[in-house]
Amino acid sequence: MALSGMRGLSVFISDVRNCQNKEQERVRVDKELANIRTRFKNERGLSVYEKKKYVWKILYIYMLGYDVDFGHMETMALISAPKYAEKQVGYIVTSCLLNENHNFLQLVINTVRNDIVGRNETFRCLALTMVGNIGGREFSESLAPDVQKLLMSSSCRPIVRKKAALCMLRLYRKNPDVVNTDGWPECMAHLLNERDLGVLIAVMSLLVALVANTPEAYWNCVPKCVQILERLTRGQDVPQDYTYYGIPSPWLQVKTMRVLQYFPSIEDPSIRKSLLNVLQTILLRTDVVKNINKNNASHAVLFEALSLVMHLDAEKDLMSQCIVLLGKFVCVREPNIRYLGLENMTRMLLVADVVDTIRKYQAQIIASLKDPDNSIRRRSLDLLYAMCDVSNAKNIVEELLQYLTTADFGIREELALKAAILSEKFAPDLSWYVDAVLRLIDKAGDFVSDDIWYRVVQVVTNNDDLQAYAAEKARNYLDKPAVHETMVKVSGYLLGEYSHLLARRPGCSSKEIFHIIKEKISAVTTVTKAILLSACVKVLMHCQPPNQELFEQATATFRRYENSVDAEVQQRAVEFLALSRNGLAMVDIMAEMPKFPERQSALLKKAVDTDGDAPEVSATKLRLQQQNSMALVVADRRPPNGDLHLLSVTEAGASNQYPKHAAVAESQASEVPHSSQSQVHSNGATQQHASGTPHGDLLGDLIGTLAIDAPPAEPTTGPSDSQALEAPPKSPAISAASADSLALVVLDAAPTQVQPLKSVSEWFRELSVKDSGVLYEDPYVQIGLKAEWRNAQGRMVLFFGNKFTAPLRNVRGSVLSPPHIRTRSAVVPETIPPRAQVQVPVDVACIGASRETAVLDFSYNVEYTPVKVQLKLPTLLNKFLQIAPVSANEFVAWWRALGGPPSKIQEVVRGVRPMPLTDMADLFIRLHVGVLPGLDPNVNNIVAATTFYSGTAATLCLVRVETDPLDRTQMRLTVASEVPNTTYELKELMKEQLVDIPSLAQPSRTSASSLAAMGLTAPAAALAGLI
Amino acid sequence: MILAALIMNTQGKPRITKFYDHVSVERQQEILRVVYSVLSSRSGNLCSFVEADDIFGPDTKLVYKHFATLYFVFVIDSAESELGILDLIQVFVETLDRCFKNVCELDIVYNFGKVHTILDEIVMGGQVVETSSAEVMKAVQDIWKLERVGELNPANIRGIGHYKNSRS
Repeated sequence: MALSGMRGLSVFISDVRNCQNKEQERVRVDKELANIRTRFKNERGLSVYEKKKYVWKILYIYMLGYDVDFGHMETMALISAPKYAEKQVGYIVTSCLLNENHNFLQLVINTVRNDIVGRNETFRCLALTMVGNIGGREFSESLAPDVQKLLMSSSCRPIVRKKAALCMLRLYRKNPDVVNTDGWPECMAHLLNERDLGVLIAVMSLLVALVANTPEAYWNCVPKCVQILERLTRGQDVPQDYTYYGIPSPWLQVKTMRVLQYFPSIEDPSIRKSLLNVLQTILLRTDVVKNINKNNASHAVLFEALSLVMHLDAEKDLMSQCIVLLGKFVCVREPNIRYLGLENMTRMLLVADVVDTIRKYQAQIIASLKDPDNSIRRRSLDLLYAMCDVSNAKNIVEELLQYLTTADFGIREELALKAAILSEKFAPDLSWYVDAVLRLIDKAGDFVSDDIWYRVVQVVTNNDDLQAYAAEKARNYLDKPAVHETMVKVSGYLLGEYSHLLARRPGCSSKEIFHIIKEKISAVTTVTKAILLSACVKVLMHCQPPNQELFEQATATFRRYENSVDAEVQQRAVEFLALSRNGLAMVDIMAEMPKFPERQSALLKKAVDTDGDAPEVSATKLRLQQQNSMALVVADRRPPNGDLHLLSVTEAGASNQYPKHAAVAESQASEVPHSSQSQVHSNGATQQHASGTPHGDLLGDLIGTLAIDAPPAEPTTGPSDSQALEAPPKSPAISAASADSLALVVLDAAPTQVQPLKSVSEWFRELSVKDSGVLYEDPYVQIGLKAEWRNAQGRMVLFFGNKFTAPLRNVRGSVLSPPHIRTRSAVVPETIPPRAQVQVPVDVACIGASRETAVLDFSYNVEYTPVKVQLKLPTLLNKFLQIAPVSANEFVAWWRALGGPPSKIQEVVRGVRPMPLTDMADLFIRLHVGVLPGLDPNVNNIVAATTFYSGTAATLCLVRVETDPLDRTQMRLTVASEVPNTTYELKELMKEQLVDIPSLAQPSRTSASSLAAMGLTAPAAALAGLI
Repeated sequence: MILAALIMNTQGKPRITKFYDHVSVERQQEILRVVYSVLSSRSGNLCSFVEADDIFGPDTKLVYKHFATLYFVFVIDSAESELGILDLIQVFVETLDRCFKNVCELDIVYNFGKVHTILDEIVMGGQVVETSSAEVMKAVQDIWKLERVGELNPANIRGIGHYKNSRS
C-alpha cells in the first residue's frame, strides 16, 4: 500500500498532528519544506520512493493551507515516469496543486497525450482525470480529437469512456469550438444508446452542458432521454451495482430529467405523452420509508420529476398532484424534505397560478419561519414573500415583523426590505401600511434603508385622509424615550407637516408637539437636525393663535443652531429665525408640501425587475406582473381589481369600418412625436424655474429644498412658488396627473402629448418576422403581442399593460380588419387598474392574399387628455405561410408547369439591403419561406418553397432569388404560384422585406411604402418590362 | 456542478480538500474557516443544506453529512440535485468504509492519498463519474495492485494500526 507504507510521511503527519498550536505547526512545516527544498536541489541522489514521498508531503502541506511555491516541476516530472505508481502520484498531486493558469502545465501536454493515445488503459484513465480536472484551453486544442475517439470507441472499457466523456466536457467548457464540428448531435444521440449506466451518467453530464448552450441542436436526443427514463423507471436492464437502495440509478434519473429541463419545451405529442407517463409513475409511487438513504434517493428523483413537470407546464391534474405532494412535504418533519418542499413550492408559485391552493399551507409555512434551522427559515421567508397578496398581507407581514426581533443579523436587512415591500404592495388599507412600516422602523431601524421611510412620507402626503392618522402615530413614537434615528426623521417630518391636524386632541397642542420635537434635536445627526428644525418652524407657523411663549422657545432653538458647524443646519436656523420674525408672511412660505408626482416606488423598483418585454412573458414574469397589479395605489385608492379578464367575445370585423390604407395609422402614429416640442412649454415658467433644482430620487429633493431656495425677501413668493420647490417630474404629462394646481396648465396643452417610446413602424417591422414583441409603448401603456399561427388561422394575444400607478380610463381598443382577413376579438376593458396587465385574445382567419393588415384602433385617457393611436397588427401574408418540404424534382416540375405571368412573376429589385446569402436565407425562414439548399446549381441563388393558406385552400408558392455577387444591392426575384394574386402579393411582401433597412427604419419605410404604392397603382406596368 | 469536495473534522481541521474550480490557497483557507463556522453552529437534526451565496457566490449550496468526528461537505451550484449529492456523499463514505473496514478519521488522515484516489473515481472535474460503490472499489483496487508492483520491500509496508491509538 502506497501511503501507509511511507514511514517518513506518516511520521511527518503525526508530528503535525502533535503540534499544540498553529505556531508550532508552522515551525514544523517550514522545517519540512526546507528539507524538501534541499533534497529537490540535489535531485540526482533522490530515489523514486523519496520523490513520491516528498510530493505527497507537499500536497499535505498545501492542504493545511501553506502556499508551496516549489516542487511543481518535480511533481510534474513524475507524470512522465514509466512506472504506474509514480505516474499516479504525479497525476493526482498535479491536479490538486496546479491549475490551468500555470504555464508549465503545457510542458506535459505531450506526455499526457501519449498516455491518452497509448494502449495502457490505466494510464489513459489517469491522464483523462487530470485533464478533466485542470485542463485548459491548450489542452482543449491539442487533445479534443483523441478524447473524442476514446469516448466513441466501442473497444474501450466503460471506465475509460466515462472519463473521456467528462474530460470532453471540460475541454468543451474551455473551448466550445471543439464540438462545433458537424455530427456532434448525432454522436451524442448515438452515445445515449449506451447500455452501461456508468458511461450514461457521464454522457448525460456532457449532454447537460451542450444542451444548456444550444438546445435546438440536440433535439434528436430528447426521445432517447425519454427512453432512458422509461427504462430506469421500469427497472429494465439495471444491474445490481447501479441499484442504490432498491432504486435504479437515482443519479441517472435525476440527470436525465435535468437535461430535459434545458429544452425550451417538448412539443412532439407522442414523446410528451410517454414522458408525462413516466413522470406520473414517479409522482405516484414514491413513498416515505424508514431507511433514510432510500428516502433521500427516491425523493431526489421525485423532486427532479416535480421540477420537470413544472418546466413542461404539464396538464392540470399532473400539476395539482405536484401541489398536493409539495403541500405534504412542507408539513413533514424530515428537515431535508421540508427544505426542498419549501424551495420547490416557491418555484411552483413562479410558474403556475397556484396561490390559492398554496394558501392552505400558510400556517405550516409560517411555522417553518420559526424553525430552529436557519436554512429552513430562509426558504420559508422566500416562500411567504412569494405567496403574499392582499388577502394575506396583514398576516404575513405581522409574522415577518415578529420574526425580525429574533432573526439572525445576516438576514435582518433582507427581512426588513421584504416586509416593507410587501406592506406597500399588498396593503389592504393605507393606515395599515403606515402602521406596518412605522413598526418596522421601530423594530429594525438599523436595517431600514432611506427608501422605505421616504415612501411613507410620499404616501401620507398624497393621501389627505391619512395625514392626521400618521401624525398621531408619529407623535406617539417620537414621544418614546429611545427612538431610532430613522424613526426620528420620519416622525419629525410628519409632525412638522401634519401635527396641526391634531391640534384639538389631548397632548397634541403646538406647544406639546414642539417640545417632543425639541427633546430629540440635540441627540441626532445633522441631517436629522435639519429635518427637525424645519418641523419646528412649521409647527410654529401652524400655531393659531400665535403663542408668544412658543415663539420665544422656537427662536431660542433656532439661535442655538445659528452658529452650527454644519452649513445646512446653520442656514436653516438663520433663515427660519428671519422668517419667524415676518409673522404672517411665513404662512405662505411654510405651507404644506404639495402632493408628490406619482412615481414608481423605488422599493418596488428594487423588488421587481421591470423590463418592458410584455409578450415574451415567461411564466415567472407573468406572475410578477400579476403581483404588481395588486400593488398599492397611492394616488387613487381603488381596491385591487381581481377580475381583469372579464372578456366577452364580439364580432369585430363585420361592424367596424376599415381604413383604406393601413399606412394612415402609421402616419398618425408617427405624427405624435412632433407634438413633443409643445409640451416643453406646457408647464410654463413654473417648470423652468423648478428645473433649476437638481432632483434626486424620492425625497432627496424634498429634503434638500426644505430650506427655501429663494431668499425670503423675494416678493414673488406665492402659493405657486411652493410648487417650484418641488422638483420637476421626469415626464411632464405625469405632473398633469397628480399635481392638481397644475391642472390649469394641462387644460391649455395640446391634446396629444403622449408619444411612443420608439418608432411604431419599427415595432411593426420587428413583429412582421417575429411572433412576439412590443406593438406599442408610451409612458403610460405598453401593448405587447404574442401570436400563434396555424395554416389559415391565427390567434394573437394583445397584452395591454398599464405602467402607471393610476388606473387608465376610457380605454378603447377595436380591431379593424381588411376584407381579406376576418378577426374576432375580445372586448378591451374600459379601465385598466394600475400596473395591471390585461390580455385580449384576437382570433384571425385569412381569406385571401393582400398586403393590407388588420389595424388596432386604440385610445385611452390620461386625466383629461385623450390619447389615440392606430396600430397595424402583423397579420401579414407571411403569417399564413408554412414552409413546404419540396424535393428537387417536384420543384423543377412545378416551376416548369407554372409557365409565365400572371402565375409566375419576375422583377429586378434594386436598393436591396446588402446581406450575405445566409442572412437572406435566415430572413426567408423567418418569413416562413423554406429555403431549399443545393437545389440551384448557382451558389448565388436561393430557391425556396412555401405554402400559403387561406380559407380552406392551400397554395404552393415557389420562389427564386438570383443575386449578383458583384452588386449586392440588386437581385432578380421570381415568384410562382397557381393563384396570380397570391404570386403578386408574395412578391411584394418579399420585396418589401428585402428592401427595408432596419437602422434607417423611418426613411426607408416611406420608400418601401411608396414602392408598394407604385406597385398598387400599376402592377401590370411594373411587371411588363421585366418578364 | 460540484465546486468542491471537503472533509474536515469537527474541530475545523481539513482532512481532504479538493476544489474543482481554481481557488487560491488563501481563499481555500478562508472558505474552510467560513464553512466550518457555519457547520459547527448547526445542531444535529437540521437539514443538510446551507445556502453558500456569501462563500461561493450566487446559487451555491453546501450539502453536508456529519459522521462521528467528520464533516463531509460538497459545494454545489444549482445544476445539481441536493438529495442526489447527499446520496453521493453516502456512496463516498460507504466506499471508504469498505476500503478501510470501519473508516475513522485517522484512516483518512494517514491515507489522504488513497482517499484522493477514491474521490477521483467518484467525482471528476466537478461531475459525478461513478455512483456505484462496487465499481469504485474495483477501480481503486486495480490501481493499488498496480502500485504495489515493484514496491514489495517489506521495510516500506507498515500497517496503520500503530498510529490509530496515538493522539486524536
